[in-house]
Amino acid sequence: MEKPEKLLIDGKRLDGRAPDELRPLKIKAGVLERADGSAYVELGNNKVFAAVYGPREMHPRHDQQPDSAVLRCRYSMAPFSVEDRKRPGPDRRSMEISKVTREALEPVLFLELYPRSVIDVFIEVLQADAGTRTAGINAAAVALADAGVPMRDLVSSVAVGKIDGTIILDLMKEEDQFGTTDMPVAIIPRKKVVTLLQMDGHFTKEEFKQALDLAFKGCEKIYEVQRQALKEKYAIKEGE
Amino acid sequence: MIHVQNREIVVPGQLIAEGNYRHLEGSYREGNKIYSAVVGLADVKGDRVRVIPLQGRYIPHVGDLVIGVVIDNHSSGWILDINSPYTANLFVSELVHRKVDLNKEDISKFLSIGDVVLASVKEVDEYMRVLLETPGRGMGKIKGGKLVEISPAKIPRVLGRKGSMLKVIESKTGCTLAVGQNGRIIIWGKDPERVNLAVEAILMIEREAHTSGLTDRVSLMLEKQREGGI
Repeated sequence: MEKPEKLLIDGKRLDGRAPDELRPLKIKAGVLERADGSAYVELGNNKVFAAVYGPREMHPRHDQQPDSAVLRCRYSMAPFSVEDRKRPGPDRRSMEISKVTREALEPVLFLELYPRSVIDVFIEVLQADAGTRTAGINAAAVALADAGVPMRDLVSSVAVGKIDGTIILDLMKEEDQFGTTDMPVAIIPRKKVVTLLQMDGHFTKEEFKQALDLAFKGCEKIYEVQRQALKEKYAIKEGE
Repeated sequence: MIHVQNREIVVPGQLIAEGNYRHLEGSYREGNKIYSAVVGLADVKGDRVRVIPLQGRYIPHVGDLVIGVVIDNHSSGWILDINSPYTANLFVSELVHRKVDLNKEDISKFLSIGDVVLASVKEVDEYMRVLLETPGRGMGKIKGGKLVEISPAKIPRVLGRKGSMLKVIESKTGCTLAVGQNGRIIIWGKDPERVNLAVEAILMIEREAHTSGLTDRVSLMLEKQREGGI
């Protein structure tokens, strides 16, 4: 991929979006038959599945917590999800994303209700176009709710960044690669608590504040779509 | 103040009520506000607020009737799978209702691996170790019948209000049912076609558990099926 001369032309981005606009978002809950809960998320060209199993008996036994459940997350990218084949299996990057995903989701779960058990979350990226960790968190939150795991709230997540000196919402691949900054954020929308915040690049203090505000606005929109997806799973059948 | 309609579908984090309400399963309190914790149907009655879950695993509670499958034995009893994150323990004395001298009696004659047992939950401790007992008539090892497994969250609909749905299925198919809170149901009947009809009805309830007027529709379906052949 070649670096485009400008990422922002007349206030419009390469795909015609305004700086504070999300990519088209589609969420569907309960898509996998075998999982206790599942969700499918399409955010622009990102295609992500999340599957939840549990709470179930934990193996290996020595990892059990006597007073609470354990949350296990695995983020994984399909070999065909990116242009150059990705070597399958866990690597440095996916281990890190699995860890931050777990920490982003843990605060909303009532883990103390299920001592000695485990809740497994699998996130599979089928097609990647920047922002897969945020799409994965959005999918995992819906899948957990779909599995009937008690939660304080959902978790919504989006990336913000800077291209050509402008703060933008929801970076796509070119913007991620050639932009100045990429900052994924996950929040608990109702309480406005940040559960994930990473940054690649740099912001001034003012830019950071502006970017975080934009991320909160983006998350609110995503939160609404997530809630709708969960309600829709049962609403369609209600007309029968 | 109530913020939802009765029987409305709610999602985790949704505000249900504000003020002096008691919150039961499926909801939690923060300050004087009550929020939903699961995807389910909001149910407000008087000062009681709860959310009837539509999904989720079976979590044992004392007094629940459960149907377990023996997966292992130990010197004084058996370990049962109760379709839950936790296994349950059944001692010989709880099964045969008398003191058993383990040195004199071989307990393997009572139960073996794979046997199905109808029991009730005697005790659950803080580490979720589960003890079973078989005090009632018909409890203990199950002989014959057909075992059906559905989502445990949907068992209340199979029973219906005060067992009304169960009565409909039993009277219209002529079968006898034992319904475990853990999502397992045993059906006994002389005619295999009628047993299959009862299975059909249970699967229909599982599919349409979140809709209203279900008892009437199940009743209608069973009558239609019975006219058409059986």
